[in-house]
Amino acid sequence: MDLQFIEIIPKAGPLFWGALYTIFVGVIACGVGILVGTGLLLMRNSRFWLLRTFVRIYGSFIRGTPALVQILVFYYALAPLTGINIGPFTAGIMAVGFNSGAYVAEILRGGLSRIPKGQWEAAEALGLPKHKVWFKVILPQVFNSVIPLLVNEFTMVIKITPLLSTITLVELTRASQMLYNETFRPVEVLLLAAFIYFVICFSISQFGEYLQRRSQKFRL
Amino acid sequence: MTFDFGAIWENRDILIEGIFNTLLISFIAIPIGIFIGVVVCLLRISKRRVLRWPAIVYIELMRNIPLLILIFMMFYALPFYGIRLSGLTTGFICLSIYGGAYFAEVFRGGVEAVSKGQFDAAKALGLKYGFYMRRVIFPQLYTYVFPPGTNIALTMIKESSLLSMITVAELTYAAHDINGRTFTPVETFATIAVIYWVICTLFLKLTQMLQSHVDTDDISNSMALR
Repeated sequence: MDLQFIEIIPKAGPLFWGALYTIFVGVIACGVGILVGTGLLLMRNSRFWLLRTFVRIYGSFIRGTPALVQILVFYYALAPLTGINIGPFTAGIMAVGFNSGAYVAEILRGGLSRIPKGQWEAAEALGLPKHKVWFKVILPQVFNSVIPLLVNEFTMVIKITPLLSTITLVELTRASQMLYNETFRPVEVLLLAAFIYFVICFSISQFGEYLQRRSQKFRL
Repeated sequence: MTFDFGAIWENRDILIEGIFNTLLISFIAIPIGIFIGVVVCLLRISKRRVLRWPAIVYIELMRNIPLLILIFMMFYALPFYGIRLSGLTTGFICLSIYGGAYFAEVFRGGVEAVSKGQFDAAKALGLKYGFYMRRVIFPQLYTYVFPPGTNIALTMIKESSLLSMITVAELTYAAHDINGRTFTPVETFATIAVIYWVICTLFLKLTQMLQSHVDTDDISNSMALR
């Protein structure tokens, strides 16, 4: 069978919107992930045993179950359990965000371990209250040092978003499924979708590597 | 609300078959993935451009295209070229070539972590490339490669859940099946989440045991045994 991209390209409008939607979902989910990750980092360093154990169990569970299953649990189980009826969009964002949060927490932990002890001591010596030590002194430095890794985490989030097609979100994968069901040309449509994903992820990860190189140059 | 775990217990045959298939797919795809990883890693670190560039293209393609798209391409696009693979075969192939790219990067990281002096010493002794890679460099990789390699293997076990989309009867598909019969989404999906967690945790513990075994082994000692 010959590839006939000329027939497909004029009909590829839905793919374009799907790609934009994928990026949109990715950005929001990544934001949720960073919030969750920061929360987990703070809980991990709290003095309460219960919070620290919760973080351990949470991390183990997120990393021990497939993202697909997490999304399905969020979508199918949350409404009957809590009585809150959330749509597929919110459920998807929450599932991907909470998934990413566990990994962001690990990234931040790596960044935190590189903060010299003197920073804590200096902040305490200045008599700053605990929350100011965290939010004004430590966390800005942590985030600054892990920006390249967070950019890479964003590509990971983009690569999870195809799973949201199972819960009827019309992002790039779902859009391409609908398009090839309509045109009966799965080869061209899927190649096009793969190309779009590749362009998105590759450019972001190259940007991340550029940031990493730059930060290494400045750290010398 | 009440939970009806009895419905799942009645359909335990489907779940057990699902667990079996998930384990089968993972434990065939992981060794093939490691093998592909070693080969691609050797190509990637080669000095010749003809060998290096295909490996770079392969790794970057696999790392930047979601697995689901890859699975769909294999399953829906290949039949147009006369290649009709079953869901299970598609699963093996997709997971292995996907994991292979990640394993290749892990091995490359390990080879780069081995100190340059080892390569120089091996070359100075006049050892051939194949010989010193096999007997000098690769035995030293274990400590660098084991922890990230375990992560990739775990990811592959988890990613096998995507095969439910092309109707491979693994664990997630079993959950959809049971949910369709009994309409107990909360119980079913919670159950398979716990099963996946148990599989992954057991796998992690197993590899940790293996790793400590490797660590206690003196490197020179293990080389003498080979």
